[in-house]
Amino acid sequence: MKIRTDRSTLLFNIVGYVVISILSLVCLLPFWLIISGSFSSEAEIVRDGFKIFPSEFTFSAYQSVFSNPQQIFKAYLVSISLTAMGTLLGLFFISMAGYVLSRKDFKYRNSLSFFIYFTTLFSGGLIPWYILVVKYLDWKDSYLALLVPMMISAWNIILMKNFMKSIPESIVESAKIDGAGEFTIYSRLILPLSTPGLATIGLFLGLAYWNDWFSANIFITTEAKYPLQFLLYKILASAAVLKTSVAANLSADFKPPTESLKMAVAIVVTGPIIFLYPFMQRYFVKGLTIGAVKG
Amino acid sequence: MKQRLTKMLSVFLMVSLMAGILAACSGGSGDDESTKAAAPKTESGKPDISKKVELNWYLVGDADKDSPQVIEKWNQMLAKDLNTTVKLNFMTWNDWQTKYNLLFASGEKIDMVFASSWADFFKLSKQGAFLDLKDLLPTYAPETWKTVPEQDWKDVTFQGKILAVPSTYPEYTPDGIVYRDDWRQELNLPEIKDLDTMEQYYEGVKKGKKITPINGKAWNEVNTLFHYYYDFKNIGGDSGVIVAKSYDTPRDVVAYPFTDEFVTFVKRMKTWADKGFWTSSTLAAQQEPGDFIKAGTGAAYWRNAPGAAGFITDMKKNNPNIKLTYFPFTHFHNYVVPNLGINNGMAIPKSAANPERSLMVLEKLRNDPEYYNLMTYGIKGRNYDFTKDGSIVSPAPGQDPAKVKGYGIASWGWRNIKNEHPAKDRWEGEDKLIEEFKAISKPDIFAPIMMDYQPVKSQLAAVNQVFQQYGQPLMMGLVPDVDAAIETYRSKLKTAGVDAVLDYVTKQVAAYADEKGLK
Amino acid sequence: MSGFIAELRKNKILFLMIAPVLFFFVVFSYFPMVGVYYAFTNYNFEGGLFGSPFVGMQNFKFLYESGALFSLTKNTVLYNLAFIFIGNFLQLICAIFLSELAGKWFKKTAQSIMFLPFFISFVLVGAFVFNLFNTETGVINALLKQFGMHTYDFYMNTEPWKYIIVFFNVWKGLGYGTVIYLAAIMSISDEYHEAAKIDGANIFHRIRYITIPMLVPTFILLILLSLGGILKGQFDLFYQIIGSNGMLFETTDIIDTYVYRSLAVNFDIGMGTAAGLYQSFFGFVLVMSVNWIIKKTREDYALF
Repeated sequence: MKIRTDRSTLLFNIVGYVVISILSLVCLLPFWLIISGSFSSEAEIVRDGFKIFPSEFTFSAYQSVFSNPQQIFKAYLVSISLTAMGTLLGLFFISMAGYVLSRKDFKYRNSLSFFIYFTTLFSGGLIPWYILVVKYLDWKDSYLALLVPMMISAWNIILMKNFMKSIPESIVESAKIDGAGEFTIYSRLILPLSTPGLATIGLFLGLAYWNDWFSANIFITTEAKYPLQFLLYKILASAAVLKTSVAANLSADFKPPTESLKMAVAIVVTGPIIFLYPFMQRYFVKGLTIGAVKG
Repeated sequence: MKQRLTKMLSVFLMVSLMAGILAACSGGSGDDESTKAAAPKTESGKPDISKKVELNWYLVGDADKDSPQVIEKWNQMLAKDLNTTVKLNFMTWNDWQTKYNLLFASGEKIDMVFASSWADFFKLSKQGAFLDLKDLLPTYAPETWKTVPEQDWKDVTFQGKILAVPSTYPEYTPDGIVYRDDWRQELNLPEIKDLDTMEQYYEGVKKGKKITPINGKAWNEVNTLFHYYYDFKNIGGDSGVIVAKSYDTPRDVVAYPFTDEFVTFVKRMKTWADKGFWTSSTLAAQQEPGDFIKAGTGAAYWRNAPGAAGFITDMKKNNPNIKLTYFPFTHFHNYVVPNLGINNGMAIPKSAANPERSLMVLEKLRNDPEYYNLMTYGIKGRNYDFTKDGSIVSPAPGQDPAKVKGYGIASWGWRNIKNEHPAKDRWEGEDKLIEEFKAISKPDIFAPIMMDYQPVKSQLAAVNQVFQQYGQPLMMGLVPDVDAAIETYRSKLKTAGVDAVLDYVTKQVAAYADEKGLK
Repeated sequence: MSGFIAELRKNKILFLMIAPVLFFFVVFSYFPMVGVYYAFTNYNFEGGLFGSPFVGMQNFKFLYESGALFSLTKNTVLYNLAFIFIGNFLQLICAIFLSELAGKWFKKTAQSIMFLPFFISFVLVGAFVFNLFNTETGVINALLKQFGMHTYDFYMNTEPWKYIIVFFNVWKGLGYGTVIYLAAIMSISDEYHEAAKIDGANIFHRIRYITIPMLVPTFILLILLSLGGILKGQFDLFYQIIGSNGMLFETTDIIDTYVYRSLAVNFDIGMGTAAGLYQSFFGFVLVMSVNWIIKKTREDYALF
């Protein structure tokens, strides 16, 4: 009996290591090529395409990204603050809503779920949205336009609700008997038990904030308020657009962004997140519920 | 189920209720506030500027690193001269078209915005986005009113309303190709003069240098060649497959895929593609042929004339061993049309709070060299300086070029030829080219035709669709059987409703030709 | 109604806890929804949203008149189904492996690495694809040449692109989706596995009889969530890989790219909104029906 178990575990591990290794390689290789490309000279990329190692090593792409370092650091600061604040606030509201919707004894949970989900299906489009934020909320050129609209999303609430559903109802019931209020149950019992869910949603929120350049694109006009992603997109777009319809009508020549610059930008944006990700993984710990139920 | 339905209904009820509120709000703040009531004049006949105002301006494109300083200085001058300051906003180039449209749709109070024929000026005019400046101009911008040529005013007049202040900067931007003169001489090839010598050049460098002559994205090189070679003229901007057959017969409007010229051309392009003048993946390529010239693996690049001059200047500076020259496609028919004045200009949206003061600022900007130089070239002694003959050097001599750059924002909207200064290090061929163009210049009769395609917009969408799916591969010679492909292309165009579009454009052109007294 | 008030009284705190979120959706989603009315007007700036002339279904014409609507809908749905099912399946497998494999260091590294593609913008993905597949300098054709085989002109054939697109979509979302399943696995109580181990179940048994059944609700939920967007394509993915290369449209054209190209020359708010409305409506009907069926069979799994 024992031997059979071991053999199957061994088999599982072999298959697992092979599959995961292959997939990791497929995911790693392009990223490696980007890193290599960001250190290559422009002519080399045009001539030979992507390479595992650049034959002439150069920092010129990074030099042009960091040509105005204060601006980049300011943008980092904006992005980090927005991401931190947005993620925390968002997690708070989302987890509360998720908890309420996961309560089986809450009568309106289905219709409210529908009310929330419906917003992912239909949208009024960009223009009414823009008018709402600029005209009615008066958030043009305000950080609020970057912070608030992204905080809550139907997708995250529903995922949160799903995670919380797996927490045994007995916990809530026994707490109620002990006389705990709803908010206390949520904050003292449910939240600590939902770390994998919170970590997941927090990750998604954080990524969304970090990667968002579009809100800044349409709402922010002051350069000092640009988040990192937008600042870098701007570096790429300024010349790329001019290559097309605009340039054809003007007596001016513009230099297109170089391929190596595109890649350096990708690295500068992605870098910090990649270093943060391993720290987040520790929240994916198994079996937290046991102690709680028994206790 | 029933209970759920009721709940769903109540949600919708709520939504529609809010919709009503929103509608009421937006209805109230609509366009009824007429801006016609001009600001009171003082007794001396001068506009009253006793009230201090802050204007809200928008430009396309990005700010310069030195913009904050420049704008601050500008505002000091404005405060002194006009009791005004301007908040100058930059739209940045990311999705600028989306942002540009949003500005008008939002009803934000904007006092001045960059406007241009390539930024949908005609369409926005037709949709009623801009304020009529006719009555304001003589009072608030008298010099501009006097000095902008009659024709330029006409180009921005729509139903008797003047909707923009065009720039005054006659320029020529015909297409052509930049190619490698050093390779041509080395390989003993003829100078490019026509289609045959062009073919010889491509063939020669292909064999002699073992490279793809038009490397990367070759569509522009072929498409512009086609239009110029047969003198097929676009009407009112980019009119897709509908063109006027030649400059001399403006009323003769055709859908070019149905012409014999098209058949001849695509057959020739098929032989070019088969000879490997460009790659089979050219339609998917993102890189500019110019990048390949720099890397030494390309031999031709489509540029308009000023763009070519810039490209050649740049190459001389950074890759001095590559010698380039330029073949303008105007040589096929020996004439060139200048750009419209409204190719760049400034306009005032209907939502403007202070259109009068805004015009006064523009008047200063266009005509006062102090204002003009500051906002166009930046800070003297830093971003630029003049040589003795009035050419411009940027950055100013003595500045560290690694730290200080020439000033560059999209200042095209107020460009005025009398205040412009040529750059000192420009390509020497450029002046010659401009002289050549001036001698063969004819007025642009096609661009000012205002079309919004409203009645045929769904057909136009479908035609554009077919053009990309079937037309582009065909013109690039990337189809196995040209005759069959032409057949398919034509029948797909018919199904898409090309006739309706053709009909619409023909009528618009005829009406325009009647009005202007063209043949 | 009285039932509602009683409920409100009973669960005052619960209502309070969800109120901010509901308020948020009213303001940021339901309020701007009035914009769907653009689909039925000929927009101009004088009239604005409600003052522009009403034109009925005219803005929808460009979708169906040219006869492309059916094949576009089919393409979009099939692509999305492939994305959803292949994607979720692989994410599920990865999550199971990652949760059960022994090496801690390996697991963590692998998980981080799988997240990398998520950060690679589609612009760069497009550049990769071109570098891999183009005929003259592409990596694949260079390899074929090296081994003395015939080169294959990818850009002249429509067939391979279906697989290329699906591959890159799945590749890009792998790490992201895996996290969801991983978190779901982590919330399964260890007790079940311990008990099963004592009963002598091997690892495959435990996965088959414990992990997978516990993941089914999440799986169904994710599928349901995706179904609503089944007519909404990943515009960036298609646009950056295929671009304006007309020769490949036959198998790679979806509604979003079609609409984009249609309106590229002459943008029209009405037509753009109309296309979006069609996509939304299709997704809405689909989700409602599927949810209804699920509700009949397994109430627990339903979305609402």
